[in-house]
Amino acid sequence: MPLDTARVHEVPDDLLAAIDYCYERGWTDGLPVVPPVVERVDAMLRYEGRPAETVIAKHPATGLELSVHAAAVNAVMAGCLPEYLPVLIAACEAMNQPDFNFHGSTASTGGSAPLLIVSGPAADEIGMNGDVNLFGPGNRANATIGRAVRLILRNVFQMMPGISDKSTQGNPGKYSFCIAERSRGNPWPLLCETQGYPQGVSSVTVFAGGGFCNVENHGGNTPEQVLGSVADAMANYGAITLGQSVVILAPEHMKIVADAGWSRQDAQAFLFAEAKRSVEGMRSVGKYRDSEYEKQHGAEAHALIEDGFIHRGLSPDDILITLGGGDAGGHSCFIPSWSRGRGSIMQHKPIGVCIDCT
Amino acid sequence: MRLYDPTSSAQKRTMRRAPPLASLDGKAIGVLENGKLNAAEMLDEVARLFVERHGCTIRAVYSKSNASAPAPKETLTKAAGEVDFIITGLGD
Repeated sequence: MPLDTARVHEVPDDLLAAIDYCYERGWTDGLPVVPPVVERVDAMLRYEGRPAETVIAKHPATGLELSVHAAAVNAVMAGCLPEYLPVLIAACEAMNQPDFNFHGSTASTGGSAPLLIVSGPAADEIGMNGDVNLFGPGNRANATIGRAVRLILRNVFQMMPGISDKSTQGNPGKYSFCIAERSRGNPWPLLCETQGYPQGVSSVTVFAGGGFCNVENHGGNTPEQVLGSVADAMANYGAITLGQSVVILAPEHMKIVADAGWSRQDAQAFLFAEAKRSVEGMRSVGKYRDSEYEKQHGAEAHALIEDGFIHRGLSPDDILITLGGGDAGGHSCFIPSWSRGRGSIMQHKPIGVCIDCT
Repeated sequence: MRLYDPTSSAQKRTMRRAPPLASLDGKAIGVLENGKLNAAEMLDEVARLFVERHGCTIRAVYSKSNASAPAPKETLTKAAGEVDFIITGLGD
């Protein structure tokens, strides 16, 4: 449904000039955008059942609001097809949860980017990629849905690089950071199944990701060897915090882990127990703080917490692990959270359906 | 060609500055530290200068558990009733 009150710019019927016009207005992420032609946006809005003026996210400090309409405009600019809109809207609704803290995670020097992990049949239905070249490039849905999130942060919420986005070094994922969970050959329940949604309902998980660390291991043949490499990446001095983690296991690595009978919970427990640094080590690089140690080792401490060590996260549940990538190659990845603490907690929402709506 | 504007058309939240204090002399200070490394030390030093130069009193120290999130409304409401002005800022 079009929005009668939306502002419209009349420009000459010249596509290249319209692309330049978008640049001149400051509407792009540095790459050319698809000009948000009225008819194209209106066609996309048919994929959302709610009125175009429905607010789906709100900036906590400025009060700026994201409407369904504005989401569709930015989705068109990013290059999305109309059927991608429900995924984008679910992602924005997840980012709008207070504990995700999208203002802080975007504004911070930390330079995180919202990582979107789409789980369930919706990913296949719109042609997303959970397979080879997982993080890109090459897939339109992955690339443009992630890009639309960035354009919304910029255009709707005015999170402008250098002004209200003060990332010290930024992050390639700030152009686009969106993947599908690989369902083909996945030995574990899909994320959407573990998140409590009804059967057949897909979900998108959002995580303020601080970068990307490839974990290469072509020699390990046991879960301990493969996951030991992952745990080492998670515990590196540059990344270890009390924050959450995302681990995407490549099929070769997943096969080693799952064939040994390990469940997702087993892998989470192993990584949580092993991804740690000694207090002395943390002191040696100047990163030790009593308050963080006490937070992790207090009355609520998880049973796997070891005295004299700082672990990554507060519990095994802070580590999201799933399958992704092509069949060949011992290349998994670890994606650290933004912030040295727990400034953003990952969130998820169902795609295209309303559950417990009021 | 007609293009939709991609920016938010929603009215920004109305913001206004608090009225300035006529004088700093003898005022009660609150310190709002955000939990970051060195934040408390830096803010304590700033507050000490107000004490030294203007005879202020440090009445309360408030903390945030999340440096990047707004201070809880309860904290600000409490502070408004206890102090004349607050000193805050980032650590690191």
